[in-house]
Amino acid sequence: MVSYDDGANSHPSAEAGFLSRVLFSTHHKTIGLQYMWLALGSVLVGMVLSALLRMHASWPDTAIPFLAGIENAPEKYAAMRLLHGSLMVFFVLTAAPQMGFGNFLLPLQIGAREMAFPGLNRLSFWMTSASLGGMTSAFFLQPDQGLNVWVASASVFCLAGLFSALNFTTTTIELRAPGMTLPRMPVTVWAWFINAILSMLIFSVLLAGCCALLSDRLLGSDFFSTTAFLAKQPQNLVREGSLPILWQRLFWYFAQAEVYVAMLPCFGFTTHLVATFSRKPVWKERLVVLALCGVGVVGFCVWGYHMFATGMNPYAPLVFAVLASSLGVPAAFLLASWLGTLWNARLRLTTSMLFAIGFISLFVAGGLSGLFLARHDLARASVSEDFVIGHFHLVMGVAATFAILGALFFWFPKMFGCRLNETLGKLHFWMTFAGVYAIFMPMHWLGLLTQSHLFAEQQRVALASAGASIRTFVTVATIWTVSAQGLFVFNFFRSLLERNNVEPDNPWAATTLEWSVGSPAPEDSFGSTAPEVYRGAYEFLAEDGNDFAPQHLSAEQLTQERH
Amino acid sequence: MPSATSTKEIELIIEHTGGGSGGGSLPPAGGNGGGDGGGGGKKPGKGQPSSKRYFTGMAVGIVSILMFFMALASAFLVRKGASGDWGPVRIPTLLWINTAVLLISSGTLELARRRLAKEDGAGFKTYWLLTTALGIGFLIGQVVAWRQLARQGIYLATNSASSFFYIFTGAHAVHLIGGIVALFYVARRNFSEANVTRSVAAEVTSYYWHFLDALWLFLLALLYLGK
Repeated sequence: MVSYDDGANSHPSAEAGFLSRVLFSTHHKTIGLQYMWLALGSVLVGMVLSALLRMHASWPDTAIPFLAGIENAPEKYAAMRLLHGSLMVFFVLTAAPQMGFGNFLLPLQIGAREMAFPGLNRLSFWMTSASLGGMTSAFFLQPDQGLNVWVASASVFCLAGLFSALNFTTTTIELRAPGMTLPRMPVTVWAWFINAILSMLIFSVLLAGCCALLSDRLLGSDFFSTTAFLAKQPQNLVREGSLPILWQRLFWYFAQAEVYVAMLPCFGFTTHLVATFSRKPVWKERLVVLALCGVGVVGFCVWGYHMFATGMNPYAPLVFAVLASSLGVPAAFLLASWLGTLWNARLRLTTSMLFAIGFISLFVAGGLSGLFLARHDLARASVSEDFVIGHFHLVMGVAATFAILGALFFWFPKMFGCRLNETLGKLHFWMTFAGVYAIFMPMHWLGLLTQSHLFAEQQRVALASAGASIRTFVTVATIWTVSAQGLFVFNFFRSLLERNNVEPDNPWAATTLEWSVGSPAPEDSFGSTAPEVYRGAYEFLAEDGNDFAPQHLSAEQLTQERH
Repeated sequence: MPSATSTKEIELIIEHTGGGSGGGSLPPAGGNGGGDGGGGGKKPGKGQPSSKRYFTGMAVGIVSILMFFMALASAFLVRKGASGDWGPVRIPTLLWINTAVLLISSGTLELARRRLAKEDGAGFKTYWLLTTALGIGFLIGQVVAWRQLARQGIYLATNSASSFFYIFTGAHAVHLIGGIVALFYVARRNFSEANVTRSVAAEVTSYYWHFLDALWLFLLALLYLGK
């Protein structure tokens, strides 16, 4: 298999210059790690922004760094929220689990040497970086200009996402090692694959919307502008919220599915980690894969339920409410599988496993309030900003971050050749776990309190003061949680600098192909031999908890190893 | 007709790749199945195991481009239905001639690929360059049509119907420029050192070209029937 993969021949050697080694390297592991660094930088900035925003909301009179004079510039506050959201959604939740971990691990896990189109992969990374630069600089510009730059950056990100998804899809279909049949693929690979297909479809939609919006703003075209449109409408339709309906439709078509783009790889991580540390096969693995497909399909169809407030066809909300609620079905399958795997298992409660279990907890807690929001009548009655913010931060933001952290603790040895400190990691986990519940659960109450117009005057006064103290509590909890991340940053960089706990190749006794190569994964991955796959991805033998069958060992090799 | 064959072939490829993982047990599915003589140069088995990825990549890419235009088309229909300010754009007659030029270019592209399959390098070059020229001719025709509209006072910013007219034709033109670059690339590149043969590159490019052709017919029908 000399020309097993052309990408393998284009590795720059270690002696190559900085530019070709770092900036122009098309190697999947290099690019994957660069995405991880990009995400790490974005998450730290985004987190500090969220703390500043909360502090401003609670103590508007206090002078807060970067927020001086914000009373006179409300658009600056809005720009800050936009920056927080863009950094977190695009460059952390989309980039880290899919492009970061995916680029690093997908070829290793399916036994390929490289992604299908390495050059395109490199291009997609630089477009992502350009988009990050654009969205950040949009914050510093005047609002009008800033929005133009933001929309242009979002288009660039869409293109990057499309190229990356093209790579993932093609790589998974075409470059699997001999023996890596579809049923033998690790669930993580399934998740990346389904996610790539979903991204393929929805990033095109957002790209179309962004192109049209940018053309409206710069060239004066008339896709979403509403003056002429409104003049012809009956008066009852012209109310707040119904104006940019078309843009909303396109945007939410993307944005609702984007939630699942962030979540799908996290479902994959959690399934993988839970099985590995329960030392048991994934319970009903095929059902899990089907459920992942189900999340993809339904996620693609539910954009409309964000349109409830905007005067659609009266039957449409019902359809979308049914669709949105039906997301509970694949979610319930996934939950059943995780619990089924955990059932009667001899758990190994590593930090990584703690984060995976934390993900399950947050996903359930956040998902339950989602069921209320999916009911269009309930949503209209009870929805307020705080409730929605609490819901999606819990289920999308924080839960996904837990899955990412779990995956990072798990694959850190394969990426850097050393382990993160477990004691610090566990301390970090418990502090964060308590912190995020303390932030987002009270936000749900706050959301319900705002319906206080239903109450009598006296009760309303009491509720308002209760609301104020809850807000302060949330802000204090935010500062606590953000500070706790200092532990993680310390742990991360200390492990990288000291590298004193150097790891064996397979420290977790895991089964998938990436653990058959050295730690950190060598430049040429599998060396001169092409890997072959003999079995499914989760062959743990539960009886003694120590026995497991790696995918790359045949039955004979396995018996040899055991003697 | 050309678009029908290409989708059939893409389906073949997808079917094949979906089931095939036994280490190249099947020869790559491809143009041979379509009976049009294309893709004859692909070596089955160990020589070029990696060329299949280009077909898959193209199929996936086409789906994604299609989604981009579908989003715009649905926006078009919703916007048209939702407003009373719809000032339809009369389609310039020139567009029909452009359409014919584009359809012919798909035909010459297939002729070129037949020549290539018969190892007739000179005949391939002739038809391939003719295709490229027709493609450029289509683009020039589109520019002339835009200028005709502009002379009638219909600009991008005139009303939403004209905005949609320009964005559909413009976005299609941008994709077609990509197709022309690909045509040049296939004609000029020295394939002796590449890891694909010229016929594989020609076949992948032809899918893209026929897709743009079919897409144009769809957009024209949308603009004509939805005016």
